[in-house]
Parts: sequence; structure tokens; C-alpha cells
Amino acid sequence: MDHLIDLRGVTRAYQRGGETVSVLDGLDLQMDAGSFYALMGPSGSGKTTLLNLIGGLDRPDSGEVLVDGTDLAHLGGSALSRWRADHVGFVFQGFNLLPVLSALDNVLLPLQLTPLSRRARHEQAERALALVGLGDRMHHKPRELSGGQEQRVAIARAIATDPTLILADEPTGDLDRSSADAVLELLARLNEELGKTILMVTHDPLAASFAHRLVHLDKGRLGRIEDNPERRPTAGRPA
Amino acid sequence: MFRNLLAHPVRTVLTGGSVLLAVFLLCFLRATVTALTSSVEQASTQRLWVQSAVSLLVDLPLAYESKIKQVDGIEWVCKWQWFGGYYKEESNFFAQFGVDPETMLKSYPEMEIVSGSYEEFAKSRTGCMIGLDLQRRYGFKVGDRVPIVGKIFPRKDGSPWEFEVKAVYRTTSAAIDQGTLYFPFDYLRESIEGGSAWGDVGIGVFLVKLRPGADPTRVAAAIDLLFDRGPQRVQTTTEAEFSRQFVSMMGNVPLLLQSIGGAVLFAIFFAMLNTMLMAGRERTRDIGVMKALGFTDAVVFRSLLGESLLLCLLGGGAGAGLAKLVEAGLQRVMSAQFPGFAIDAATVGVGLGAALVIGTLAGLGPGWRARGLTPVAALREGI
Repeated sequence: MDHLIDLRGVTRAYQRGGETVSVLDGLDLQMDAGSFYALMGPSGSGKTTLLNLIGGLDRPDSGEVLVDGTDLAHLGGSALSRWRADHVGFVFQGFNLLPVLSALDNVLLPLQLTPLSRRARHEQAERALALVGLGDRMHHKPRELSGGQEQRVAIARAIATDPTLILADEPTGDLDRSSADAVLELLARLNEELGKTILMVTHDPLAASFAHRLVHLDKGRLGRIEDNPERRPTAGRPA
Repeated sequence: MFRNLLAHPVRTVLTGGSVLLAVFLLCFLRATVTALTSSVEQASTQRLWVQSAVSLLVDLPLAYESKIKQVDGIEWVCKWQWFGGYYKEESNFFAQFGVDPETMLKSYPEMEIVSGSYEEFAKSRTGCMIGLDLQRRYGFKVGDRVPIVGKIFPRKDGSPWEFEVKAVYRTTSAAIDQGTLYFPFDYLRESIEGGSAWGDVGIGVFLVKLRPGADPTRVAAAIDLLFDRGPQRVQTTTEAEFSRQFVSMMGNVPLLLQSIGGAVLFAIFFAMLNTMLMAGRERTRDIGVMKALGFTDAVVFRSLLGESLLLCLLGGGAGAGLAKLVEAGLQRVMSAQFPGFAIDAATVGVGLGAALVIGTLAGLGPGWRARGLTPVAALREGI
């Protein structure tokens, strides 16, 4: 299997109160295409920073971040924006839907950056919403949806442009157990049925149980990578 | 952008409303200033005014007319005497002049008779010609007798003067107002000389019509020289200069009005800037999301700038539209003091231009801030 993600000697530090705090310290990590990874570790271990670097939201202080062969550290601002639009779908803990837009318009948002016709964009957005089971709620505003539904709209937005990689930062952190399970089931299905590579940051062992592989970070360094021996079954797949 | 504006309807309506009021006020003030200055700009170069060198309030001897006529380059001279009366009550004040009917109208090709007959006015002793605005204001019709109480030239029996409306005029030049009553100067002179009215026979100003090709500066100098040794010195100016002196008698009104307009725009700019800064800060997380989705810094910048412009242009458009809508009403109120008052295309353009500038300046700061935010910083700050 090819490495979709290849991190070499990645370091990242932040200035906090006049002090330099090292978040990632010479990290080497490879991840395969088509897998579902759970990125785990205690608070401050660098999980979200790593996710941001892989998603091109942030840049490393040193080292290489290669995603699908592209070294993100060397892309300019606009090129990096275009790269994100083409290759990555983000799912955030707080859903981050635009409150003034309907579910459909939120999903249409990333599609505006594609060369598709208006009609094709609408068809694709409606397909994505149908895939997450919200075809009948597409004209609702975020405030008219439950937390679980909002996160499913966010997932529809993440897959609308058919990206290679889906990055999810604590996607179930703001959800109750049953909504969380539905969202995790959905992510697992996207991985299995559409072949999406998923990298999910989570604290929750139950959430991590949906992943193929578990990546443990500790104090900015790679702890261990392990296959998930107790992977939970999804609706379409036995354990 | 529309949806973002609609997300806070009260704030949008209040801010847009303040831009509306500012642009409306700007259009009103500019139209007033334009009306003031256009009388100077549209003044003819073929007409000179001869007045006392002491003051406009000092009359010139009647005999000056024949001497002025002898100056080379003059086609004719028309006497103008300020009457200074009022219609029924002192609050009904408008300008009245005693003039020479035979030369008055031909001195002003910008004037045209819209009802009645100028010939009837010219040959009548007690007839008068009124402007269209005066007709609209008081409903005077041709044939009506207009009683005017003389303050400078009261009648000895205490009765008002009576002038029969013989003609109604309108003008195509802002240099001439449509709110004046003209009557034959000879009626005034004969009444004073005949003992039926108080006052002295004199002339406020002589209007001098130049021959085609005559040099106004040379003719004016020649007239001034004519009376250089008295008995009363005169000052001859072009119509433009005469109008300018008249405007300056009101103090620097154009500057005052422009200053008020500028101050209002300045205040609205800060209100608009505040709104856009609030909008920008409130949407920091949305900006982070847009950037994460792949929207470039330039798109995010344009989005906030566009929102500011949209709000200002909607408010400004409504303000300019309102000014245009109430133009006719304003003209009725303003025409007596500011003939030529009009919300013209240039004024609407200035109003919209001001809205555009405010919108651009108010959107630049928040847009620039949003542009400079990294996606991570915007998402973190917006939590």
C-alpha cells in the first residue's frame, strides 16, 4: 500500500507568554491511503497540531509534510488554499457550519471552488446530504438541526468535493453517545465504501474503536502505531 | 453577503438607515450649495450691473441712465429698483422690482412667458409679471390683482399697491429666480412724483446689456470713469461678480453647508466602520472555516469588503432615491431662497460616490484583518 501521508522530521513550536513551547519534536510518520486512523494521546500531545499540518492549515517550523506526493511546506498561500480545496475535507468538533446558510448551502460552499456547473454542484451537494441521511433536511439552517445532524452536514460538506483525505478533529466531542455512534458509523462507511482515507483525532477509546489503526502521540513524539484488534463492526461490515 | 447582512436585521437596518440619512442630507446640502453657486456660474457675460460704489442699499440718480447709454459698446440699459413690500402679511415676503418692461425681457433670453402676455405687461401701467414659483406658491393667475404693502414706498393713503398679473414667466437659468414680481418702474416713479406715495425716486441698479463683441471689462471701466468725479461714484461689475457679492452677503454659507455635510459623513464612516469591525469579529470562526475549505485570503477580503459596500450602497441608494423622491416638495419650500434648487444627476452621483467611499474605507480594515488571519488562528479565536 502507498503512503498517502509522509511526515519527515516535523517540528512545530508556538510562542506562549514569551516562552517557546515545542508541540511536535522531529516527528516521522507514514500513513497509508484508504485506511482509517485514530490519532490518540493526552491533551497537549500535539494531535490537533499534527492534523492541522497534514491538512495544510498550518506549516511546520522544519521538516517535510508530504501528502499524496505534495510537500505542503513549499506551497504558497493561495496554492495551499487550492490544495486544501482539492484534497482535504475537514470535520471539526464544533461542527463549524456557517449559521446564516442552510444545510445545502453549507455543503455547496466548498463546491464553489470547483469548475462544476451550478446544476452539477447542486446535484453533488444533494447526493452528499443524501449519503449522510439528511436529504430531507437540506433546507434547514444549522440552528434547526440537532448536534448529530449538524455534524452529519459537516461530513457531507467534507466529502462534497470528493477529497482524498478526511481529517476529523474530535468529531464526536460535542455529541451524545448515540449521535456519536451514528457519526462514527458514517465515517467508517465512507472509509469502507468510498475508500476515503480518514484521520481522526480523538480522546475517546470508543470512537477510536472504529479505526483500523491507532496512532499514539505523547509530548510531540510518536508513541506507537498499532492495528486495532477490537475494531467495532459497522452496519454493513462484521467485526 | 446578503445573508450575512440579514443575519442581524436590526443592526443592518440601523446602519443602513444612518447611511440613508447621511446621503439624503448630503444630497440636500449639495443641492443647496449648487443652487447658491449656480447663480454665479450661470450668470451672463453679456450683462453688467451698475450700482452705487458705496453700497447696494444706496440709490443712484435717475439721470445716470442717459449718461450710461452714451458709453460705447452698450446696447441698452434697464432700470431696476428694489420695492421691498409684502403680500398681505409680512411673512409673505418675496422679491419685487420696478423695471423697464420694454428692455427687461429682451435682456433675459433665459426667461420665457408661460401664460399671459408680455406685451400686455409692457404696455400696462399697473400690470406685473410674476415667476412660476410665485404662481405655485400663492395661486396667482393672469388677471388677478395682487395687493402689495410697500415698506420702502408706502402709499400715502395707507392702502396697498395693486398690480394686475399680466404675464407669468419661467427660466432656464439658475441665475434668475422664478419667485419675483416685476412691475413697471414708471408706475412707482409717477406715484412718488405725483404725491400718492412716500419715498425718493432713484435707481438701485442699472442693468447694462452689452453689444455683441463688446469687452465687458472695458465697458465697466468706462462707466465707472464716467462718474469718477461724482456726484455719486458707481461700481460696475459683471453679472457673475454681482451674484457673487449677493451670495457673499449671506456669509460663507457654501463652506458652512459643506462642513456640515463633511462632518455627517465622517460620523457615519465611524458608525459603519464599527459595524463592519463587529461583523468581522463575529465571523472570525466562519472566516477560519472558509479558509480551511480552501477559500483564499483574497476571497475572504473581498467578501467583507463587498458586504460593507453592499450595505453602504443600499443605504446610499435609498438616501439618494429619497432625495429624488421628495425633490419637488423641497423645491417648493426652497425656491424662494434658493432658486434653481434641484437634486440633479451630479448630486445623486456625489451621494452614491460618498456611500461608495464610506463602504470601501469601512470594509478595508475588517477585510484586511480577516485576510491576515491564518485558518488555525481564525478557528481558535472564533471558538
